[in-house]
Amino acid sequence: MTIAKGWLMALAACVLANAAAAADKGCIVVQNTAEVEQTTTDAKGVKTVKLVPAVKVVPGDTVIYTVTFRNVCTKPAENVSVDNPVPEHMAYIADSAVGPNTDVSFSIDGGYNFGKPEALRKKDADGTERAARPGEYTNIRWVMRHPLAAGAEAYARFRAVLE
Amino acid sequence: MTRLQLLAAGWLVSLASTWALAAGTPAGTSIQNTANVTYTVGGSQVTAPSNTTTLTVAERLDVNVTLESAPVSVRAGDVRRALLFRVTNTGNGSEAFRLSMTSAIGSDNFDPVPSSPAIYFDTDGSGDLSAGDTAYVAGSNDPVLAPDVFVSILIVNDIPAGLANGSIGRSRLTAQASTGTGAPGTVFPGQGTGGADAVAGSSGGTSNATGEYVVSDVSLTNVKSATVLDPFGGSEPMPGARITYQIVVSASGTGSAGNAVIDDAIPANTAFVAGSLRLNAALLTDAVDADAGEFIAGTSPAIRVRLGNLTAAAGAQTIVFQVTIN
Repeated sequence: MTIAKGWLMALAACVLANAAAAADKGCIVVQNTAEVEQTTTDAKGVKTVKLVPAVKVVPGDTVIYTVTFRNVCTKPAENVSVDNPVPEHMAYIADSAVGPNTDVSFSIDGGYNFGKPEALRKKDADGTERAARPGEYTNIRWVMRHPLAAGAEAYARFRAVLE
Repeated sequence: MTRLQLLAAGWLVSLASTWALAAGTPAGTSIQNTANVTYTVGGSQVTAPSNTTTLTVAERLDVNVTLESAPVSVRAGDVRRALLFRVTNTGNGSEAFRLSMTSAIGSDNFDPVPSSPAIYFDTDGSGDLSAGDTAYVAGSNDPVLAPDVFVSILIVNDIPAGLANGSIGRSRLTAQASTGTGAPGTVFPGQGTGGADAVAGSSGGTSNATGEYVVSDVSLTNVKSATVLDPFGGSEPMPGARITYQIVVSASGTGSAGNAVIDDAIPANTAFVAGSLRLNAALLTDAVDADAGEFIAGTSPAIRVRLGNLTAAAGAQTIVFQVTIN
């Protein structure tokens, strides 16, 4: 019985791996997750924060988007960049975009132009120019500084609050 | 001028954005996200999309009840006196709210007696109980409010007899989300707008506000006197003689006589002397304008002086005007 179960699970894992390989004929497999922080307090009053899949969100909740990408080929992947739009109804939280060994830039025009936060300027209705607010960013781009070696995995993450 | 208009426009804009934030993204909204990874292998560029994450916005149950009326001045023994409240859906989904009221509240001097029915919609928007207002029946006409929408509610009480001046009685309106109430974060699976989950917001899905009645008996007394000056320097009431009337109005008691107005008719066979009306020695124009008084011409001429909310503390108010005998 136990053996049969284990075999079934192995088969299922195999099917999943095949499906992923079939869906992406390239070298990089991309996984996107949306999570929220869940704080639990134990009997001693010690708080533990962990990430759990975002099932239900209400206005004011912070969602953590993580893009995980892995090079499944035998050659290194070069010029790797991750583009992720900030979903509608969500506002990017300042300084929350992270990714090891990446340069992060932002867009306020739907992904046509990218720049560092200090270079992003918005014009108000009355013509006054000002720095764009993080909540106005529409897209985020992470550019890897080095090639992604064969078999290596990296991630790009940001936080946004539901308006 | 232009500067003023600009300022006004800016204020409107900020108001609008505050409103947009109050309720937030509507319940049931689907939020999707797909990332792309671009890279080159062996000189050719490839773009790989990620899976798409989908979040459904749950309904946040939130409500805010606010008192809209200043303490209501009542007399002992008054019946069906109303307090005005506003119930606002501060959640992000359409929600029905169950209303209840109580007048059994500690920390006041007396308990107002709820009328039957005791809760009304201020249907005609008058701010007070009137014939056009619809009675609220729990479970039957619970107000269903879209996000950010409010409804005006009156709660109605009788005031017991025999209360001392200055006594305060309180009455409270409570609104509860019909989906449910609970500690912030409590989940009501599948019970939100459009079948989404509902989650108790920071209000816990319930809110209340307390209004106040103040017993304030007040009475106004006015004392009128007349002095006559005839054309010969005497005090004979003869044609051509001038009569100066003085009316002294004073309030007594602990209350406030709201919007007290004194009307005094010009006696028959006399004519009002233009420009002779004064309040506390200050001249009032004859015209109906921003000042406190005027002369009303016509078939029954009179003077009118508005004394505002008159209290004993304000002291005596002296009105003076003159007429000539025809």
